[in-house]
Amino acid sequence: MSPRTSSQRPRPRSLFATLATLKRGGAALAVLAVAAGAGSCKGEGTAATEPPVVTGPVGPAVPTLSAAQRLTRSQYAASIHDIFGAEVVVPSALEPDLALDGFEALGASKSTVSARGIEQYESAAYAIGKQLTTDPKLLARVLTCKPEGPGDAACARAFVSAYGPPVYRRPLTEPEITAVTSKITTSGLALGSFEKGLAFGIATLLQSPSFLYRGAVGEPDPERPGQRRYTAYELAARLSYFLWNSTPDDALLDAAKAGKLGNYDGISAEVDRMLASPKARDGLRNFVSEWLRLGELDLLQKDSKLFTTFSSDLGAMAREETQRVFEDLVFDRDADVRDVMTTRRTFVTPKLASMYEVPAPSATGFAPVELPAGRRRGLLGHISILALYAHPTSTSATLRGKFVREKLLCVTIPPPPANLNTALPEPTEAAKTLRDRVQIHFTAPTCASCHLQMDPIGLGLEQFDGIGRGRTKENGVVIDPSGTLDGAAFSGPESLGQLIHDHRGFAPCIVRKVFQYATGVATDGSEVDTLDALLGRFIATGYRMKPLLAAIASSPAFRSFGAPH
Amino acid sequence: MRRKLDRRTVLRGLLAGGLVTVGLPFLEIFSERSASAAPDGLPKRFGMFYWGNGVLPDLWVPTGAGANFTLSPTLAPLAPHQAKLSVVSGMKVPFVNAVPHLSGPVGFFTGKPPLKNDPGAFGAPTLDQVIADVVGADSRFRSIEAAVQPGTTGLSFNGPNSPNPAESDPAALFQRIFGPEFVKPGSTAAPAPTLALRKSVLDAVTEDAKGLQGVLGASDKARLERHLDGVRSLEQRIQKLQQSPPNLVACNPPKAPKDTFPAVAGRAPLSEISRAMVDILAMALACDQTRVFSLWFTQPVSNALIGDASAGHHQLTHDEPSPQPEVAKILTQIMSELAYLLKAFDSVTEGDGTLLDHCAILATSDCNYGRQHTLDDYPIVIAGSCNGALKTGLHYRAPSADNTSKVALSLARAMGLTLETFGAEEGKVTSSLREIEV
Repeated sequence: MSPRTSSQRPRPRSLFATLATLKRGGAALAVLAVAAGAGSCKGEGTAATEPPVVTGPVGPAVPTLSAAQRLTRSQYAASIHDIFGAEVVVPSALEPDLALDGFEALGASKSTVSARGIEQYESAAYAIGKQLTTDPKLLARVLTCKPEGPGDAACARAFVSAYGPPVYRRPLTEPEITAVTSKITTSGLALGSFEKGLAFGIATLLQSPSFLYRGAVGEPDPERPGQRRYTAYELAARLSYFLWNSTPDDALLDAAKAGKLGNYDGISAEVDRMLASPKARDGLRNFVSEWLRLGELDLLQKDSKLFTTFSSDLGAMAREETQRVFEDLVFDRDADVRDVMTTRRTFVTPKLASMYEVPAPSATGFAPVELPAGRRRGLLGHISILALYAHPTSTSATLRGKFVREKLLCVTIPPPPANLNTALPEPTEAAKTLRDRVQIHFTAPTCASCHLQMDPIGLGLEQFDGIGRGRTKENGVVIDPSGTLDGAAFSGPESLGQLIHDHRGFAPCIVRKVFQYATGVATDGSEVDTLDALLGRFIATGYRMKPLLAAIASSPAFRSFGAPH
Repeated sequence: MRRKLDRRTVLRGLLAGGLVTVGLPFLEIFSERSASAAPDGLPKRFGMFYWGNGVLPDLWVPTGAGANFTLSPTLAPLAPHQAKLSVVSGMKVPFVNAVPHLSGPVGFFTGKPPLKNDPGAFGAPTLDQVIADVVGADSRFRSIEAAVQPGTTGLSFNGPNSPNPAESDPAALFQRIFGPEFVKPGSTAAPAPTLALRKSVLDAVTEDAKGLQGVLGASDKARLERHLDGVRSLEQRIQKLQQSPPNLVACNPPKAPKDTFPAVAGRAPLSEISRAMVDILAMALACDQTRVFSLWFTQPVSNALIGDASAGHHQLTHDEPSPQPEVAKILTQIMSELAYLLKAFDSVTEGDGTLLDHCAILATSDCNYGRQHTLDDYPIVIAGSCNGALKTGLHYRAPSADNTSKVALSLARAMGLTLETFGAEEGKVTSSLREIEV
C-alpha cells in the first residue's frame, strides 16, 4: 500500500485553484477587453500554504488527456544516436516542430505531418540506412551474422529481432518481424546485395508510425477499476523522452518486460537510475530550451553595426551558457533551482567573457566563472535571455517583462486590444530613455493594465543593451533600473532577480511548466490537485529539480491514461 | 464527373474541428476535379505571396477606380505589370480582431476566425490547400510552400495544427524539385529498380499504420490518417517518377541556387533569397511539378531587418512616428520583390500567353494598418488572369466593407472549383466578387 498523498489532507484553497480561477477570469476579461477596447491584466495568486513532507507517489490519479506524441526533431536524432551510435549523421531536414502553449512537447501531441514532412522522413530513413550498411564499422555493429547470399532470411531476421525492439520501443509481433525480414530479403535479392536490402529494412523500421509516434493506447488499470493507464512499454517511452529526451535503453525496456513498471516502487527505481544517468542532463537541457524558447536563438538577428559583438554563432553559444548553468545547479550541485535567478556562477567562452567584461577563464571553449558583484547575476543577466527578448536594434522592456511574467511566473498576458494605436514616441530632448518613452503605457488606461505588469520588469533590465552587454547610459542619460515587482521594490537587475527567486508565483510556475512538458498536454484545470501536491513535494525537498522530476515521473497522474480526445 | 468521397476527405473534416465542423466546402470540392485545365489545354495555377505586418493605408490604396487608376506609392514597383493585375480595396476580414496578426490571415485564408491565440489555430484548410485538394493530384507535388526570411514557416494549413511548413532554404527547395529525381518533361524516365522497392516500403508502412488505426483514439486516428495522406502522395510521386512526362516547351530547369545566403551585417539578404525562390518556383510551375505554390516573404509579427531599416519591421510599424517613412520603404521593397515574381512569371512563354497569364496570384498581408492591426480595407493584389477567368488592369474598390471571403471564392472558382460557399459564421459567403471575374 502506498503512503497517502498530500492531497488527501484537507487544505486551504489551493494556490493552483486560485491561479486557475485568475486565468479563467483573465481570459474572460480579455474577451471583454476586445469588445470594450480596454486592456485587462490581473495580478497574482495568494500565498501557498506549505503541505506536509511526504514520500511516495505524489498527487491523485487524475489522468491528463492522452495523445500519441510524434518524436520532435531532437528526439528523432537522439533516438537514432542511442540505438545505432553517436557517429551516425542524422539529417537535420525534418518536419519543423510546432510549439503549442510554448512547448514543442505539446505540439507533438497535436500536430500532424505535412506531405513534405513525409518526404523528409523517407529521405532521412534512407540516409541513415545507407550509412549503417556502407560504413564498415557501423555495419559490423548492426549485423551480427555473416549473410549467406543477398536473400539470407536468417541473418535478416537476426537483425530485425535485435534492432526492431529498440526502434519501436517494444517487442515486435511475429507478423511485424516477418514483414520487415521479407523487406530485407526481397530488396536484397532484387539488388543483388544483402547489405543493400538491409538498408531498405532499416528504412521500413524508421518510417513506421511505431517509431515516429510514441504509442498512446493504454490498458485497463488494475489499481483503478474502470480506468486506464499507459502500458508498460508506453510508460517506458514516456519516462525516457521526459527524462532523457531520447528512447528507452535496454534496461528500461527490460524493466517494462519484467512488469517492474506496474507499481510505484518499480517505477521509482527506474526513475532514480535514469536521473543518475548522464542522459538526464540532455533531458533537462531540452526542457530548459523549450521552456525559455532558447531554440529561437538559432535565428537570432542583430544589427551588427550597432552590436559589433554580434556573430552568427552567438545565439548557440548563449544558449549553451544557460543550459550549462541549469545543468550545474541541478546535477552538479543539486541546489535550489530557483537559485538560477541569483547565482553568480556561469559558464563562458572567451567571447562571452569579453561581452560580460570578465577575464576569460579559458583560452577556448566554455569554463566556469564567478561574475563580480554589482553588475549582473542569474538568468536575467544571461545574454541568451537579454538578446532573445529584445529587438534587432534595441532593447524591449515589454518583451523582457512579458518573458518574466509568462515563462517564469505563468501569468498569461493577453494580446493588445484591437485597433489600438500602439505607437511609442521617438526619443526627444525631454524623453531620452526608454523609461521616458514608455510612460504612455502607464498613463493610458487601455495600455496600463497589461503594460504595468511587463514594462517595469523590463525597465529593470535596461542596463543591458539589446544584445545583453552592460551599459549605464542611454542617449547620454544615466539609466534608472529601479522599480517594483508586485509591490516589492528593486533597485536594479540583481535585486530584481532576487525578487523573482522569492516570488510566490515562481516555484508553482516551475512545477506547472515541468508538468506540462512531461505530460505533453496543456493544463486545463483538472490537474490542480496534482500540481498542488507536486508543489508541496517541491517545497519540501528544497526546490530541487531532481526530486521534482522524480515526483512527476512517478506520479499516478503521469501513468494514468486520459480519455482519448 | 463526381468523385467518390474518400477517407481522406472525411478525416480532413474530422481534423478541421473535432467532429463538429466538417467543412462543407471540402465535400463540394470533390464534385469538380477536371476543371483546372484552361481552355488552351495548359493548366491553371494558383499562388500566394504574403508578407507580415500590413501596410500604410494612405500609401497603399490606388487613386481612381475601374480601369483608369493610378498605382499608389507602395504599389508603384508593380507599374510594369499594371495591365496584368487587379487591386482590390475596401474589403474586410469580417471577424473581431481578437488575435492581432492572426485574425487577418486566418480569417481571409480560411473564412473562419482563429480558434484561439495559438499558432496552429486554423479551423479549416487555407485557400491554397482548398485549391490544391482539387488541382494538386495531377502534378508531382500537390503544392509547394517556400519562404524568404530564414525560419519562416508560413501559414499554409490543412486544419488545426496541420501546417505545411515552408522551405526557407533555396538550395533545399531546388534539390527537392530539380534534384536527381527530376525527370524533365519530354525525356524518358531512366529505369530505377529502387523506385519499386521504395514504394513497397511505403506499402509496409501503410500496413503498419492500419494496425494502429484500430486502437487509437479519434484524434490520433485522424492525425495518423493525415500522415498516411502524405505517404500516399509520396507513393504517387514515386509512381510518376517511373513515367515519362509529356514535353512542355516552357520547361527550362533553373540553375542551382547558391548553397547558402549568409547574413550581411546581421541582415539576411532577403531580396536575393526571394529571387532565388521565385526562379525555382517559376520553373516548378512551367515544368508542371506543381500547380499550387505559396511564397511567404515574412511571418506575421516578423521583426526582420529589411534593407537598411534602422529597426526590425514589426517594431517600426509600432514605434516609428507617422508617416512612417521607414515602413513605407520596407513595403516598397517587398512590392519590388512581388514585381520580380510577376516579371519572372511573365517572361515564361506558355501557349499564346505567358505563365503569369495562366496563374491567379493573391498577394496580401496579415492586417491593413500595421500600427493598429486593422482588418478593414484589407490589402489585396491579384495578379494574372488565370487564363481569362479573372479581369486584370482593374482597381476594384468595394463600396461598403465587403467580405474578403468573396475574393477567396472568386479565386477558387477561377481555378475551376465549383464551390458553393466559402467560410463560416460571419465569414461565410455564397456569392463571389463578380466584379473581378470575367
